[in-house]
Amino acid sequence: MNVRASYAAFRQQMTHFLTDPQWIIPSLIAPFMFTMVVLMIYQDVDGPVVLQAVLGGGVLGMWGNTLYSSGWSISYDRYNGTLEPLMTSPTRLMDVVAGRSVWNTLIGLSNAVLVFVIAEIMFRTGVGLANPAEFFFILIITLASLASIGLVFSAFFVLTRASSVLMSSLEFPIYVVSGAMFPITLLPDWVIPFSYLLAPSWGVDAMKIAALEGYEGIGLGIAGSLGLMLLLTAVYILMARWLFKKIERNVRSYGTITRF
Amino acid sequence: MEAASLRQTVRVIAHSSSLSVRNTFAAVPWYLWLGQVLFTSFFAMAFFAFVADFAANPEVTVAYVVLGNAIQSVAMVTLYSVANLPAIEKHVGTMPVLISSPTGLFTIFVGMSLFQIMAGFLTVAVSLGYAVYIFGLDLSAMHLSVMVVIIILTSFSMAGLGMMIGALGTYLRTGMIIASVVSYVGLVLCGVNFPVHYLPEWLQPISYSLPLTYAVEAARLAAEGATLTEVFPQLSVMMLLGAAMLVASYFMLKGFERLVRRKGAYEAF
Repeated sequence: MNVRASYAAFRQQMTHFLTDPQWIIPSLIAPFMFTMVVLMIYQDVDGPVVLQAVLGGGVLGMWGNTLYSSGWSISYDRYNGTLEPLMTSPTRLMDVVAGRSVWNTLIGLSNAVLVFVIAEIMFRTGVGLANPAEFFFILIITLASLASIGLVFSAFFVLTRASSVLMSSLEFPIYVVSGAMFPITLLPDWVIPFSYLLAPSWGVDAMKIAALEGYEGIGLGIAGSLGLMLLLTAVYILMARWLFKKIERNVRSYGTITRF
Repeated sequence: MEAASLRQTVRVIAHSSSLSVRNTFAAVPWYLWLGQVLFTSFFAMAFFAFVADFAANPEVTVAYVVLGNAIQSVAMVTLYSVANLPAIEKHVGTMPVLISSPTGLFTIFVGMSLFQIMAGFLTVAVSLGYAVYIFGLDLSAMHLSVMVVIIILTSFSMAGLGMMIGALGTYLRTGMIIASVVSYVGLVLCGVNFPVHYLPEWLQPISYSLPLTYAVEAARLAAEGATLTEVFPQLSVMMLLGAAMLVASYFMLKGFERLVRRKGAYEAF
């Protein structure tokens, strides 16, 4: 891995964001609205269930940010005409995208914290986290696992101009399958294996165990859920690496980047 | 002279409309576009249906939520897409050319929005299909013609709101952010997923100033078997709001054209 290139990409992404920080609003507004809707639907429910909704909103915030930033990271290069020079430079595209992802991950974290704080101020759940230190540790690892999914998507987005369509198509399926707002046991039996293949589902489970007193979750405990999430995250990173390599080789060999 | 002017306007609208279709499918293959329509509306509905199932609130059942979301899917498609039209022109750098053409921006954007309105029809039809066949919504008492009228009028009034937001966005660097904010606000304010009376009292007047609130209310009545006469009050207020917003967008776009021509300062926006 070319750390200097990744760091440069990180700084570049930071500059882009700080030049026009209003883009945090779209990725913040959807999860926040969903959290509000869920809390309104719950009405007379209080305590842990409300906290669960607020936590879920934070996870949705992180996912929205990951998805849109990974999609746009390649699309903006395409718009600005910088994708071709990027592809022909000796630095691997994955190193560049990884650097950008680290910045996006930091913004995703602030996104989640903002959703927690605003929802807490507005709805006054009045419920403390059972294990705050554990919770925030798992939150960061979950965010990293979301970023690894973003890497896989970024690789695919090199091959298409339709990333905006794909991004909006992928937003809700993860909201549903990750079980951020409701237990995945409510899903139809045939959908549950897809939830298990999704690293953030395990992260959400571990987060809920750390936050909610007496929550049992899927049944593997914090260590089990965390272990599975890390394993799946490693698989996603390897997958992204393989995809980037293959895609880069193909578009360079045939000179076909402008076709996509 | 007036007939010639009308003919010219119709030609511009027709041309903009066909251009909008070509632009959409030049960037996105038709199967991906269709996949987005089928996928997004299904998963958005499923998300709130599972939440309603988990919450077990007797007033907010799965049927209540899926019907609201089916109607709301028109808003997501029509409002967001129409509101984004000026933003896209700005983004790709074609707005100065449009402004300097003798045809007004309003006419061009009305033409471009027609395709989005049609897309709205398709989305809501698909969403109602999901609501009935997958989530078990009972529409046996419904008069189909009443629901069709509600959907058509909803699409047009939401396009009016979209045009107004889009027009407002021309004064800003990007209107995409307002568009995405407003399209999500409907989920909370318009009685899509829970009754409007759940909201704090100070928010309820805002709900009743949005066309979608009346659309959802009319659709719920229609699902229970209401006739066109019975939903007329909701539909008339909705259309009035939609028309007022369309007129407002006309003046906002005219104002923008005048402003940038007078100052020669398009780049400032």
